[in-house]
Amino acid sequence: MSAVLPRHRVNVLTGIKSARLVEDAAECANYIQKAKRPLLVIGPLLLQSQADGKLLLEYALDLAKAGGIPICATAQTRGKMVELGVQPDCVYDAVEIVNALKDPDWKGVRKEGNHDLVMFFGIRSDLGSQGLSTLKHFAPHLKTMTLCKHYFPHASYSLTNFKKDAKWQEFLESLIAELQKGG
Amino acid sequence: MAVAETKKLSKKLEELSKLIRAEIPWEPVGPTPMPDIPDIRSWDMRLLKTYQPFYAPFCDLCCLCTYGKCDLTAGKRGACGIDIATQQARVVLLACLMGCSAHAAHGAHILEHLIEKHGRDKKIDLGESITIEAPHIRTVLGLKPETLGDLQIALEYVFKEVGHLLDSCHTGQEGSALDYESKALHAGMLDHVGMEAGDIAQIVGFNYPTSVADTPLVDMGWGAIDKSKPTILVSGHNPATSTEVIDYLREHSLEDQVEIAGVCCTALETTRYSDRAKIVGPLSRQLFFLRAGIADVIMTDEQCIRTDTPQEASKVGAAVVACLDKAMYGLEDATDMEADEIVRRMVSNGEHFAILDSAKAAEVAVKVAMEIAPKRRKEWLAEEEAIELAKKCNDCAMCEQVCPNLCSIGAGITQLAKGEFEPLRVLFNECIGCGKCEEECPRHVPIFRLMQVAAGNETWKARAGRGPIMDTEIRTVGAPITLGTIPGVIAIVGCSNFPDVDDVADMVEEFAKRKYIVVLSGCSAMVAGMKKDADGKTVYEKYPPDFEGGGVVNVGSCVANSHITGAAIKIANIFAALPLRGNYEVMADYVLNRVGAVGVAWGAYSQKAASIATGCNRLGIPVVLGPHSAKYRRLYLSRKEEDDWQVMDARKKELVETGEPSPEHLAYVCETKEKAMPMIAKLCIRKNDTPQGRAIKLNHYISLYKKYMGAGLPEDLHLFVRRDADIPLVYKKEVRAHLQEIGWQPREPVGLPTYIGTYPSKVSIDAVIH
Repeated sequence: MSAVLPRHRVNVLTGIKSARLVEDAAECANYIQKAKRPLLVIGPLLLQSQADGKLLLEYALDLAKAGGIPICATAQTRGKMVELGVQPDCVYDAVEIVNALKDPDWKGVRKEGNHDLVMFFGIRSDLGSQGLSTLKHFAPHLKTMTLCKHYFPHASYSLTNFKKDAKWQEFLESLIAELQKGG
Repeated sequence: MAVAETKKLSKKLEELSKLIRAEIPWEPVGPTPMPDIPDIRSWDMRLLKTYQPFYAPFCDLCCLCTYGKCDLTAGKRGACGIDIATQQARVVLLACLMGCSAHAAHGAHILEHLIEKHGRDKKIDLGESITIEAPHIRTVLGLKPETLGDLQIALEYVFKEVGHLLDSCHTGQEGSALDYESKALHAGMLDHVGMEAGDIAQIVGFNYPTSVADTPLVDMGWGAIDKSKPTILVSGHNPATSTEVIDYLREHSLEDQVEIAGVCCTALETTRYSDRAKIVGPLSRQLFFLRAGIADVIMTDEQCIRTDTPQEASKVGAAVVACLDKAMYGLEDATDMEADEIVRRMVSNGEHFAILDSAKAAEVAVKVAMEIAPKRRKEWLAEEEAIELAKKCNDCAMCEQVCPNLCSIGAGITQLAKGEFEPLRVLFNECIGCGKCEEECPRHVPIFRLMQVAAGNETWKARAGRGPIMDTEIRTVGAPITLGTIPGVIAIVGCSNFPDVDDVADMVEEFAKRKYIVVLSGCSAMVAGMKKDADGKTVYEKYPPDFEGGGVVNVGSCVANSHITGAAIKIANIFAALPLRGNYEVMADYVLNRVGAVGVAWGAYSQKAASIATGCNRLGIPVVLGPHSAKYRRLYLSRKEEDDWQVMDARKKELVETGEPSPEHLAYVCETKEKAMPMIAKLCIRKNDTPQGRAIKLNHYISLYKKYMGAGLPEDLHLFVRRDADIPLVYKKEVRAHLQEIGWQPREPVGLPTYIGTYPSKVSIDAVIH
């Protein structure tokens, strides 16, 4: 059981099964590469720019490209993706994609079968935490991972609470580089 | 045995018939008068087949009995045998029961208060434009209430059912998540009965406006309060005491000398009684106002009141009178004490009291306010002082970590330290007013006072609540709503746990200008008025107050939500001429399949919001919730391309596979306001829409999608286009090309869509034909 507290206390876990903390980009890449049908679910928090002016969404798109991972865009995220020249593989809102994922017989976004690893990136923390809770309890057929800058105990794998955005960005860049190596 | 059961049943029916005066033939009594838990279960199960419960456990454990704590993670069962899904449903039912009880007990208290004043036989008269005075009570109980005493029958029925439902939550009872859901839906239905009884009593007993749309515009915002005058704050939901305060001020010619202001629903109630009362704002402004120290006396009644009100009041030298037994704060009960003695002790000793006699509480509050106000300091911080105080912040982010709305408060405070007020003003709009940030701050920065300075003293206008929708209005809009030419009724209701306060006014503006009917209640009705356009006008000043396309209607407080759902029933009863008496399934089926109404509880936080929404769901009205509302643990979602969209065509008596997910969900959480806009428009689509109506609805769905979600067409548009005539003219070319590309095939609309006939029910298919 992890001793890490989630960044937002509304997400404090009350049970005993909590996420494995992933602090090494190579380890994170390994989990992704081992998955047969990963999926990246991206949310509207990625529409924010970082200090260097780069959109968080660009990290997500680079990551998906490096890992050959299909993208599910939630809320209004699709519009910006299209502007950046990328079409999402599907568009659902957060609760809709979670609802589909919890069905083991769902065919997945590429109609190749349900996904075995789902990465969440850019969903509001309280909603994200609740969605991860749904999957923890009702989707034993898949693993979940979060790429946000805070710890999410309901996930299978979570990053830590980054105090500085630059460190988080560094992690994401390393992860993308690892995936590119693997590809 | 069989004979004994028949006799027992007959006796039960006999008692029931007597209670609802079944012999009076205003309408034939339908199949489910005063339904027990199992009576509408089949309808629930039909709903739950398409709109399956989606659980997001807020807690992995069950901690309700001494077998536990039991970890229910990943398929484990508790010591009693319960699983995680059933436990979630059980907690949802408990929440609905708390909500339902709060409204019904509020109604019961008001009724008792008013019966004492006016007697049991006081006639219910809601004015010349309202003859169907109580659509819920008529539908659910089969009773046409004529007097205040009749409303007690309705509430006694609610309390009886609540007892049975609460019983089912005990350890070792219900073992099915779906059955708990059916029970929650039952509790939600009862809630609308309780709310209706309560609000009718208030309208009749307090002579609130009724049969009128154009109610007064009242002042809102703490800047509207003249703080040079003694000020009484009324807080909560129950107007028994606030109306007495106004009576006392009137009788003693003190109306010009004492300010009376309200926060949360009591504010709405009080402004229905006197348009000279002021609205401080929604629940989220309660602690701000307490800490500002403007109120000399705080009168609490029930629901959504700060549980630390006496402590907060003492910090600023204000006095507290707890007026209802629901919240007595451990205070001395001074109900039987002489008023002047209470005043003396409050003024001299700074004591707070519980006074459960409304007239005495009112007298004490006014006298205390007048005595202590001249001695109290009520000054805002100056901007320069605020900047100095903000410099104490070192942006440690402890405040952000405990903020339920996930706000980066420290960032705003550090900007303020540099003299920039705007970031904190923006944060103020996102603040839900809980005070956890200030409690956590290691440097004791007075965050609330700083936010108040940033927010300023702006004032707004809100329209006073008007109660039920008039029968005359229903006659006018019934056809356009069911045909789809009025694209929908959007009910923006509930509490103030908003992602951003401005979202509500933005939603009202967006849908009112598109000629939807926008209906408001509770805290949402207040914040709708808390944004001005470039001309300085709020939505209440821009749009007419009528229940018509483009109208913006404030029905009133929480309990007035029953008038919104009641309007949907009235459409079935008045416009479609379907009998409603004891005929719940037919009413709900009509609303689900033919009335394009959607509830939006964007800031829902309470158990009452859970029960109101669940009551809407049983009646066939989908509800959209804000992103934090996933914490309610349960939604009702469909899987649009995989679920059962089969209906019966009542005219042809044929089953039809429509493939059309309308409405797509019953209880849905939207991640952002941008997503909510097209989703709300989509949830107004009904299978009954005419081609013209469907084209209008799709026009809004597409245009809202393009506006808020980016370029292109909605991914699921093809599911809602039945024939070419459904395609809105302005998008004809683009939509036709898209449909051709994906291989869309036209299909026939259903003449008279109904769920009746698709599941086991006592209701015959002929009952839905009008």
